[in-house]
Amino acid sequence: MNEKIMLLRKIQQLHFMMIEAGLFLDNQNRCCEALADFEKYKKLYLEAKAEYEKCYGPLSYEGVNGKCEDWSWVQGPWPWEGEC
Amino acid sequence: MWTYEKRLQFPVNIKNPDPAIAKFIISQVGGPDGELAASQRYLHQRYSMPYDEAKAALTDIGSEELNHLEMVSAIIHQLTRGMTEEEIKRAGMEAYFVDHTAGVYPQAAAGFPFDALSFAVKGDPLTDLHEDMAAEQKARTTYDNIIRMVDDPDVLEPIRFLREREIVHFQRFGETLENIKDKMNSKNFYAINPAFDMKK
Repeated sequence: MNEKIMLLRKIQQLHFMMIEAGLFLDNQNRCCEALADFEKYKKLYLEAKAEYEKCYGPLSYEGVNGKCEDWSWVQGPWPWEGEC
Repeated sequence: MWTYEKRLQFPVNIKNPDPAIAKFIISQVGGPDGELAASQRYLHQRYSMPYDEAKAALTDIGSEELNHLEMVSAIIHQLTRGMTEEEIKRAGMEAYFVDHTAGVYPQAAAGFPFDALSFAVKGDPLTDLHEDMAAEQKARTTYDNIIRMVDDPDVLEPIRFLREREIVHFQRFGETLENIKDKMNSKNFYAINPAFDMKK
């Protein structure tokens, strides 16, 4: 597994932790433990996402580096093609 | 993958509920040229599209259609919020009310539920992009017809925004079509289906 895929797996895991904490909090919205978990994973997720986008291109519009000459958003492979 | 942003693409704030106009505006939720059909058309056509520019256009426009589905659903919700039994009867909305109360169900103005037969995924870039351009024009005509039937500026403003987006998307799909033609055999665009015949 190369570094790009390893970083992407980390992003997938961290964001999934945010989803899990968030779904729980939708109904238990005063649970301090879950809130702390959410904050912890959010911070790690944002760091990992920023690092990925700096090295390998955007995951969303917000991650596009508009200073480049090309609109990097269109560059494949796309997620459904099985190479990422 | 998708994440949710807790806002509308363009504001919808309707002061006066009016179930009579909700009865036909709902076609842009679940009708044949509505926003649900639009989003699913583009997001499903992406998978067989062999060109990166077209994959991006279908992904981005398909995602924007989900914003529009939410906007037009918000219009239906605000037009039917707090209806009394008397208002339901006066608006001739009994049939919808019996099945869905004041919920937002994807259906056409004539009452039939959303049907995936209202869009195609042909797996051929030329065919699919021609459908997409036609779909944007059909949605634009539907919004034109809605505008003819509505007076309330609170409703007209978001509807005019949605109509304008149909025109912009038509333009963008036209450019996508020209872009992919540049990558094909200019003597006969139909010589092959690049989504099927060109293996990597």
